[in-house]
This record gives sequence, structure tokens and C-alpha cells, in this order.
Amino acid sequence: MKRDKNLPLTETVYYILLALLKPAHGYLIMEKVEELSDGQVRMAAGTLYGALETLLRRNFIKSVQTDDSRRKVYVITDEGKRILCLDCQRMSHMIHVTPREGLQ
Amino acid sequence: MRKCRFSLDLEHEEKWLTEMAKQGLSLSRKTVFGYEFWQIPPQDTVIRIDYRHFNRPADFEDYRMLFKDSGWEHIAGTESSGTQYFKKTDKEGETQIFSDTASKAARYRRLSSLWLSLALAHLPILISLIYSGTVDPLAFLKPRLLYYTPGLWDMTGGSFLDAFLFETPFAIMRGVSWLLLPVLVCLCIACAARSEMQYRKIKHGRKGGF
Repeated sequence: MKRDKNLPLTETVYYILLALLKPAHGYLIMEKVEELSDGQVRMAAGTLYGALETLLRRNFIKSVQTDDSRRKVYVITDEGKRILCLDCQRMSHMIHVTPREGLQ
Repeated sequence: MRKCRFSLDLEHEEKWLTEMAKQGLSLSRKTVFGYEFWQIPPQDTVIRIDYRHFNRPADFEDYRMLFKDSGWEHIAGTESSGTQYFKKTDKEGETQIFSDTASKAARYRRLSSLWLSLALAHLPILISLIYSGTVDPLAFLKPRLLYYTPGLWDMTGGSFLDAFLFETPFAIMRGVSWLLLPVLVCLCIACAARSEMQYRKIKHGRKGGF
């Protein structure tokens, strides 16, 4: 089977999509990503902005209407969920085969 | 206070502006003519530059709020200015606005495509000037073509010298003005190439996994 060309996702993109299962604005995403990654992934503002722009262009996320007129709130799309699931399966597979090959 | 400076290297510019802030000069505005500063008590801060254009005011506002929330005050730049200047407000926080190599490099890619589009925007003007005969590129090989006086080159003696000397300043001005646009286009292409080189240097030159 031919693999989706968007795979594998980078660690940052994976965590952003995971964070956006619930709607959030930019800074909230940064905090959520840091929390989800146990403090391993800390994104700077310029990097996050660029990543959000790319994800919007690929239709993995969309912006939603809110009361806050100054900050945009984003949420994952169905396409985003699909790609997130695919990448999760990809990593599950790696985790499954690793001990089988003898690595503890 | 105003200062003039031209730099293609955003990292040098960041260093210089950070140094200025330490001396008590805080950037208030950047125009094509240079930098304008407020005089403030010396600040131990960091200035960083992003390069972005915005199509809608709401996008620009959202962008500035994201930086503000993460400890960066937007001090100069407009929706269409491209360069966006930020000052660190959070003493403890990050000193970088990019946390990976790819996004750090991408800033130069955006800068490079601006220079290239500037060059491309001027090319049609240049071509139409050549086709309409307003600018004659052959004149740079044969400077005689810069002289418009009818029959000038058939004259002899004193009348030739008079006519020749009379028209020379005009011919020089003609030549210089014809050169302006091609030089401008070349400069834009050179700037684009320089930014593209910086993009590649950062992208491939530093650690970034496999």
C-alpha cells in the first residue's frame, strides 16, 4: 500500500494536531504542546506561527469563530484527524516490532 | 534619533539593534530611509526580526498577539513592511523566536522571494522600454548612440566640437538614466541570491537530525 505523502509527521506537527483536538489559540497551543510532550517540545512564537500557516494551507486545521477578536482560535479538521491517526498507527507499529526484534 | 544602515543579514541587524537598546536607543520605526529610535534608559533586552507579509488586518493582529502572549513586544513593522521587529519583555523566557532550524531558515526564504519578485516586477518595464526604443541597450557598446543631434558625426572642426560638447552632458544623463533600471534589477537579483544562500546555509549547515 502506498503511504500518504504527508507521513511521517514531525514531532512538533504531531503534538500541535493532538493539542487541537480541542479548539485553542496560539499561545494555548504552545502550552499544551509543552505539557503533552512532558516539557520536551518547547516551541517559539515564530516557529509556531509558521507551522500553523502550513497546517492551514494543507487543511489539517481550520480557524473557528470566537468572542476574542484579537486571537484566532484553531481546531483540527477531519483531514487532520485522519493524518494524525495514520501517523499514530505508524508509530504503534514501530513500537510493536521493536521488542519482537530483541530490543528491550 | 535617526540612523541609516543597510543590512541583508537579519542576524547582524538583530545584534546591532540589541546593542542599541543596551545603549538606551529603542527602535520605534523602520522606514526605507533608516531606523528611528526612542531614547530610553538602557535596557538589557533582546531584539529579534521576523520576515512576514499579511493580507488581512486580523491575521496581523493574531500574529502580534501570539508573540505578545509568549513574551515578545512588537515594536516596529506594518502589515506590508515585511520585516517585523520584536523586543523581549519576559526576563525569564526564550531568547529566540524560532525553535528549530527549518523555521529559522524559512525566514530567509521569504526574504529571498521578495527580492526575486521585485526583480521580476521591474523586468517587464525594462523590456517594454527597450522595445519602445526609449532605452537602446546597444548604446552601452556604442556610446555614439547616446547623441541625438542629427548629422553630428558628419560635422567637422569647430562646429563638431561645439555640438559635441553641448550634447555631452545630456548624453551622460541619458546613459545614467538608462542604466538605472538594469542596475536596480541586478541589485534585486543579487539580494535574492544572498538571502537564498543564507537560507541554504542555515538549513543544511547546522544540526537538525538526519
